Amino acid sequence: MSNPEMATATGGGNNASDMLEDPSHQDVARWGKDGDTFVVVEGEKFTRSILPKHFKHSNMSSFIRQLNKYDFHKVKPSSDSENSSPLGNVLEFKHPYFKIDSKDDLDNIRRKAPAPRKQQVNEDFTTNHHISVMSEQLAATQQQVQQLQELFTEVSQTNKILVNEVLTLTKIINAQKAAQHEMLNYLTPYNNDNQRTPIISQTINSNGRASDADDASVPELRRARELLSSVSTDSVTDRELERLQQHVYGSPTDSSAMITPTSLPLMNDPMHDITRYPVYPVGQTVGIDPFHSDHIHKIPYAMPSDVNASVLGDQPQAPTMAPAPTQTEKPDAMWGPRKPSVFLVEDDPICAKIGIKFLKSMGCEVEHASNGADAYTRINSLSRQFDMIFMDIIMPRLDGVSATMYIRQSHPAIPIIAMTSNIRPEEVNGYFEHGMNGVLAKPFTKEGMWKSVRTHLSHLMKNPPQESEIGSGAGYFMGSGPYLNTSTSIKFESPTPPSGTAGSNWSPGQIQQPSMGSGLEQNFGLLNGSGQYAMATGHRPQGFSANLHSADSSSGRLSDVESPPEKRQRLNPQSTYSC
Amino acid sequence: MAPVEDQPEDVLDSSLVDLNTFNQILEMDEPDDHEFSTSIVFGFFDQAEETFAAMDTALAEKNLEELSSLGHFLKGSSATIGLTKVRDGCEHIQRYGKLENIDGSSEPDEDLCLERLTKAIQTVKEDYKEVETVLRKYYEQFDS
Repeated sequence: MSNPEMATATGGGNNASDMLEDPSHQDVARWGKDGDTFVVVEGEKFTRSILPKHFKHSNMSSFIRQLNKYDFHKVKPSSDSENSSPLGNVLEFKHPYFKIDSKDDLDNIRRKAPAPRKQQVNEDFTTNHHISVMSEQLAATQQQVQQLQELFTEVSQTNKILVNEVLTLTKIINAQKAAQHEMLNYLTPYNNDNQRTPIISQTINSNGRASDADDASVPELRRARELLSSVSTDSVTDRELERLQQHVYGSPTDSSAMITPTSLPLMNDPMHDITRYPVYPVGQTVGIDPFHSDHIHKIPYAMPSDVNASVLGDQPQAPTMAPAPTQTEKPDAMWGPRKPSVFLVEDDPICAKIGIKFLKSMGCEVEHASNGADAYTRINSLSRQFDMIFMDIIMPRLDGVSATMYIRQSHPAIPIIAMTSNIRPEEVNGYFEHGMNGVLAKPFTKEGMWKSVRTHLSHLMKNPPQESEIGSGAGYFMGSGPYLNTSTSIKFESPTPPSGTAGSNWSPGQIQQPSMGSGLEQNFGLLNGSGQYAMATGHRPQGFSANLHSADSSSGRLSDVESPPEKRQRLNPQSTYSC
Repeated sequence: MAPVEDQPEDVLDSSLVDLNTFNQILEMDEPDDHEFSTSIVFGFFDQAEETFAAMDTALAEKNLEELSSLGHFLKGSSATIGLTKVRDGCEHIQRYGKLENIDGSSEPDEDLCLERLTKAIQTVKEDYKEVETVLRKYYEQFDS
C-alpha cells in the first residue's frame, strides 16, 4: 500500500460518512436505501470529483482497497435493485457499524488488524527461536559428549592404572606369601632357641590360649601357615584382570618386573638385623620383614578377630605408665642383648640435640646426620645397620622424603619415622607413600619418641610390652576408620605445644588409611610396613574419631588457635599411637 | 643444690613458654647441673640471633622464599623448647614468605606479604627478647 493511503487510512469511516453527508453528491455517492450501505453511483465521477476532496488520491481501486481494509464489504447488487444505474457501474459497500443514524458507531470502524501477517511473523519468530534453542542444545550436547569422552579417557586410564596396580599387588602378595612360607619353614627348626619365643608365647597367652612356652612357637607357626593358606585369591578374577591388562590395556607394567620373588638369602643368625632385612624386596618394592612377629599377623588379609587382639597386644600403648621416668631409671635394662641403634637425621641443631638426648635416655645408641644426603651416605657406608631412623622432612641438600626413597632402595625394612611439623593428612600420606613407617609430629615429646621407639623396636626389648600391661588394644588405629581421609579437614600444620604426657606420634595404620582408600598405586605404603599394619581391627576406641572431629569443628585449624595442653591431650588420648 | 632454686613455673610466664615442653628438657638435666638444658637454651639464643640477622638480610633483598625457609627453621627449634610466641611468629613468617595468609590461603600480593613480613619479624624479635630475658634470668640463679 502506498503512503498516501496510509495517511488517509485512519478515519476512513468518517471520510466516507462525510462524503455521503454532502447532498450535492447524491447522484454520485449516497447512502443505500436502508441507510446501512454506502453506494457509489457513478464510479468515474466519484473518482474524479469526490475522492480528491477527501483523500490524497483519485483512484477508485485504491479507495476500494481502503474500504476493504476497514472491513467494508461489497454488496452484491441485487438484480431488482432500484439503485441499479443505467450506467451499470453502481458499487455498494456495507459495514456493520456504517449506519446513517448512528454516527457514534463510526468510531468502531477500524482498520482490520493485519492478523494473518502478524501470525506469520510470530511463526517466524517462534521458529527462529526454536532453531536457536535447538542449536544451543546441540552445542551443549556436543560439549557434553566431549566432556564424557574426556572423562571416559581419564577413567580408562585410571582404570588401567588400577588394574595394573591390582595385578602388581597380587603378585607382591603372592611373593610375600611364598616368602613367608619359606620363612616359616626356616623358622621351624629354630623355634626352641628363637628369641621370638617369648613374644609368641605371650601373644598366645594373652590371646587366652594356655600353652607351654617351650612349644609355643610350633602352634604359632602352624597357625601362621594356616593363615597363609587360608587366604587365596580369586583366580578367575585374577585371570580376568590379567586379560584386561593384556588385551584391553595393552602393555604390561614395568612394575610387574620389580616383583621378583627371591629365594631366601643365607641367614647365619636369624635374629641379626643385617641378614634379616634384605629378604626379598627388589627395586622400589619395600619388603616386609617376615621375621617380625607382628607382620605374620598383619598381612592385610581378613583375620579372625582374636588374632588381631593378640597382635595388638604387643603394641605399646600406655599413656599412664610414664615411660620416661622408667627409662631414666634403668634405660639399659629395657633392651635385650644389644642396644638399639637409632639414626637421627635432623638439620636443626636444637631439635637434634634434644632428640639425641631423649633417645640416649631411652638407652639407644644414637647417630646423627644433619641432612638427607649425609644420612644416605652414612647409611650406605656403615657396615652395621641402624634399627630405626628418625627423619626430618625439610632439610638442606636432601629432604627427608627423598632421602627415604634412596635409603629404601638398599634398606627396605628399617623403620623410618618422619619427624616434622608438616603433618596435614595429605602430607602424611606422602610420607607413607614414599616408604616411611610413621610420623612423629614436631615439636616432639620424649613420650612420643619413646612410643615410636618402643613400637618399632619391640623385638629388641627384653620385655616387650604386652597386652596385659597396655590394655586391650586401646589406642590403635589401624585403618578401621575414615577419620583421616582426605575429606577431613583436620590440619595439624603446626602442632600445638605438646603437653608433657600426650604423645604426638601417629601410627602408620592410622595415616595409611586414606591412601589405601584413595588408590592402589600407593603400593609403597602398602608394603613398607604401614600396609601390613593397616588392617581393620575394630579395636580403635570409639571416642577417637569423635574427638578428632570435635576438635576439628571446635577449633577449625588447630594451628590457628592457641590450643591449651588439655586440648592436645584430648586429641591424643592414649590413642596417639600405635604401631 | 640451692634450696631457694626457683622452679621454672615461678619464673617463666606460661604465655611465653610452654612449660610442659620446657620441663621435659629440664628433666634431661643431670640432678646436679643444668648443663644440658643450658646448652639447648643458649644454643637456641645463638641460633635465633643468627636467624634474625639472616631474616633482615633476606627482607632487604625481598627474598620471600628465604624468609619462609628461615621462618620454618626457627619455628622448629622454638617449638622444640616450647617458646610458643616465637614459634607462632615464625609460622607467620613462614606463611607470608610463601605468599600465604595466616590461615594458609594464598595471598598473591607480594608487597602486602613483604609489609606483613616486616611487621612479623619485628614482632618475633620483640617476643624473642622478652622470652630471652626471662630465660637468662632463670639460668642466672644457677650461676652463683
